[in-house]
Amino acid sequence: MKIRRRSSNLLIEPPSSATGDIAFNLIVFFLVCASVQPDSGRHQTLPRSEETEKKEEKDKNIEVVVKRQVALVNGDVVPAADFSARMAALLAGKPRPEDKVVIVKSDDDVPYHFWMMVTSQIEDAGGIITLQIEEEREVQVP
Amino acid sequence: MKIKRRAIRADVPSMAMGDIAFNLLIFFVILARAQDDSHLQWTPAEALNIESAGHSVASVLIDSDEKLYLNGQPIGESSLEMKINELLGDFPPGDRTVLLKVHREVTALRFEPVIEAISNAGGELVHIVEEDRDG
Repeated sequence: MKIRRRSSNLLIEPPSSATGDIAFNLIVFFLVCASVQPDSGRHQTLPRSEETEKKEEKDKNIEVVVKRQVALVNGDVVPAADFSARMAALLAGKPRPEDKVVIVKSDDDVPYHFWMMVTSQIEDAGGIITLQIEEEREVQVP
Repeated sequence: MKIKRRAIRADVPSMAMGDIAFNLLIFFVILARAQDDSHLQWTPAEALNIESAGHSVASVLIDSDEKLYLNGQPIGESSLEMKINELLGDFPPGDRTVLLKVHREVTALRFEPVIEAISNAGGELVHIVEEDRDG
């Protein structure tokens, strides 16, 4: 005797009341994924600006002038490849923190990525960065 | 003859709860977006030896158009120091972190006064950069 298989034509639909919860969970998932922003970087300690400067102390410190594509250490052009070694050599014989101060002066057109490279190498060599920023002053000539 | 009053149940349809939650979420996401700076266009510079910035009080950003923002809101260079000072309040050292995000091609003329303002406001500066994988 043949037994006929019962074919059911009933559609099994997922419960529509759950769609809201599914949407909620999907949003939470994508929010968590999207909120991962870069939050790592380099700490930099800079002293507060002073308008007066001590000339004799300034003369003792290392001076770095950052140009658009090159950096000058105490007036000498130093290639990027030698910069780290040069800074380490200059700072090696200076145990006191006040002697490790490096005065950084940048040209107006220096891009941030080059400035960042130079200053991070100074810090990695043990230097303490001080920025020298020229103030613009308007002088009225009578 | 007495006519019986029909009692009609007035329930909040539970089917709509999901939609309400969805719309509330969208609302709060839009509000949150206005506070942060994730919508701004900038490319970070690279550096070696980077570490986690940790919790920050303020985020200063200079985008690819050299426009300045504090916590996602446009701000002028002249009022930056005062605003950061207000945000930092009396927080002790260690809790005064200010993130600085600068587009890699922005020039010193633009970013140095910003660094000076953060420093003068007593902020602990963290440059947000990418790890330099080429060394």
